[in-house]
Amino acid sequence: MARVEFHNVVKRFGDVEAIRDMNLTIEDGEFVALLGPSGCGKSTSLFMLAGIYLPSSGELLFDDRVVNEVEAKDRNIGIVFQSYALYPHMTVRDNVLFPLRFKRIPREEALGRVRAAADLVQVEELLDRRPSELSGGQQQRVALARALVKEPQLLLLDEPLSNLDATLRLTMRTEIKSLQKKLRVTTILVTHDQVEATTMADRIICMRGGRIEQIGTPDDLYHRPDSLFIAGFIGSPPINLIRGQARDGAVHVGPVAFPFEGLPGAVTVGLRPEHLKFAVSGLKGRIGQMEPMGREILYVVETDVGYVRVLEHGSLAVHAAGEPVNIGFSPDESLVFETASERLIAAARVCPPA
Amino acid sequence: MAAPATFTGIDTRLATPADWDRLAARARSLRRAKAVALYAFLIAVSLPIILPYFWLLTIAFSTKTGVADTLVLWRSLAVLALAVIAFWLAAMLAQTRRQMWVGVTAIALAATIVFARLVGPDLHLRNFIFLVEPDFASIVRSRAGEVRGAVQFPSVWRAFGNSTLIAGAQTVIVLTVAPLAAYYLSRFQFPARAAMLRSLLVLHAFPVLTLIVPMFLMLYWIGLLDTLAGVILVLVAFELPFAIFIMKGFFDAVPWDIEMSALTDGASRRQAFLRVVLPQVRNGLLAIAVFTFIRGWEEYIFVFTFLIRNTNWTMSLYMYYVRDDVMGVDYGVVSAVGVFYLVPSLILYLAAQRYLMQMSIGGVKG
Repeated sequence: MARVEFHNVVKRFGDVEAIRDMNLTIEDGEFVALLGPSGCGKSTSLFMLAGIYLPSSGELLFDDRVVNEVEAKDRNIGIVFQSYALYPHMTVRDNVLFPLRFKRIPREEALGRVRAAADLVQVEELLDRRPSELSGGQQQRVALARALVKEPQLLLLDEPLSNLDATLRLTMRTEIKSLQKKLRVTTILVTHDQVEATTMADRIICMRGGRIEQIGTPDDLYHRPDSLFIAGFIGSPPINLIRGQARDGAVHVGPVAFPFEGLPGAVTVGLRPEHLKFAVSGLKGRIGQMEPMGREILYVVETDVGYVRVLEHGSLAVHAAGEPVNIGFSPDESLVFETASERLIAAARVCPPA
Repeated sequence: MAAPATFTGIDTRLATPADWDRLAARARSLRRAKAVALYAFLIAVSLPIILPYFWLLTIAFSTKTGVADTLVLWRSLAVLALAVIAFWLAAMLAQTRRQMWVGVTAIALAATIVFARLVGPDLHLRNFIFLVEPDFASIVRSRAGEVRGAVQFPSVWRAFGNSTLIAGAQTVIVLTVAPLAAYYLSRFQFPARAAMLRSLLVLHAFPVLTLIVPMFLMLYWIGLLDTLAGVILVLVAFELPFAIFIMKGFFDAVPWDIEMSALTDGASRRQAFLRVVLPQVRNGLLAIAVFTFIRGWEEYIFVFTFLIRNTNWTMSLYMYYVRDDVMGVDYGVVSAVGVFYLVPSLILYLAAQRYLMQMSIGGVKG
């Protein structure tokens, strides 16, 4: 178990700066997610932690010790790769045993630990099979067992769920989370899937273009996104971002206006689909499409300000395609961003009661 | 809604159940006719390839000293041709897999019996005299009444040993160097990497024969002329570029992930290479091993140029001198030497065929 710190870490590949001045502390036993679109530097950070990439400058600390130059093999880190990266020519037992081979552990004890790890992720009956004979979910469990068998001080998960089907993804999400809580191992999950990040992690580090965009709990990121980027990235179905104007102490969105204390100028108003209601007045539009999602229905409404997504609870459609509607919303639930800087300027009012 | 037309071009709206049967029958006969034509073509083009080997075998086991008798060749060819045609007909006429196997077995049996009756009495092993008698050339010549001094041949086993040594040593060296070089080219970024990859291909494209004179001079100056070691070095140098290129393709196909995984699991770079990466390219290693061995085994021009003493002869040189010395007298012995020369590479190919099939050079990229 370890506390992990990044101090002004920079990673360059030739002329490209993959990581720009990263500062971050991950507490002992914490489960954090590195979230961002592909190419944002999250995998680079992971590989630096694993000791596969050397930081170009800055310091990487495990428990207050600088580990920049410590080799991968000496870091005692468990990784689960997106591809699981099981050794195809070995049985499951040998796969899980592999990390212990370099530790000078007596064979009996090593095999005992393999059984314990396999037991932990429920693959004990698969020990004699080869990876090619396993399903995706089983391979995933074996990869977890291999990462955990050496009792790592840090567990790194690189997109661990993206190769699983939807149902299995739900199961593994729960299992990995409870496993982490049980073992209290510092865990870093790298993902581009915001659902994975918000459902599993205690804290989310949202990255963009090699920089940390925002750090916060899943709640923070959802309700108080620092920037348009985060607002658009977190939440499914995605937030509606509508152009507006701030003037005369109010924000004007189409025909709708609500009071606003900030400086006048172009703003972007963020409205979560579930905060929008069909009402007698408000944004005028016409229902374009309906997407039934089981418990709720997503309406895509064509308005003067573009497509607006409205999420209605209930499984029965109350509106038909082509029907003219008005969309109403509460100013308290809207996020106002300055269009030029893409920063949040009016968030305090939308905070849910803590 | 327009009804979709079937692939036979007939409008399905008009088709009745009876029509369907007729269409199915037509498709069946069409498929069969195509297969028949295809097999006829394949047989026609493979005959010139198979026939020389078949005749080589027949001559080696039947021809007698001093007799240029071709009757046995025609007889055996007749049996072979009839058998092939019968196989073809059986495959064409058989309605089920079982029928086909029965037919094929029956034909094979019949062909064997006819062959034994027609050609059997002429078969003998006397042409393989060279296996036990180093001075077989004199014996063969005296049989034909020629007493002029024959070439002094070394034992064929000596040549066999030399060939094995050259091919084996060459294989061992290539198997050691090529994977290491290929791994480095595949995984590491270093100056002139692209140029090196290109030059590997260019090197392979050169006709190596053009270098024979400089090679001769170099071997002479470093004192390796007329030694097996010299030939081995030259062959290794010519074989390596291709082997490296093939191996690089195999290494490229090994995902980075499992290597990184091995590193974080506590393996050093070397341990990761040996225990995790190398087992993934086993088929590649087998492929280059087989190709290199066979290249060394069949090598002729370099051994002919660089080896002089007859104790250094390889199988190819032995074959050449046998042909030179007794060809006019005894085709049987020449063919028998050929068969003996052919067998090891044939066995090797058959054993490794399964792995060689998996090698795709087309997928290799720089």
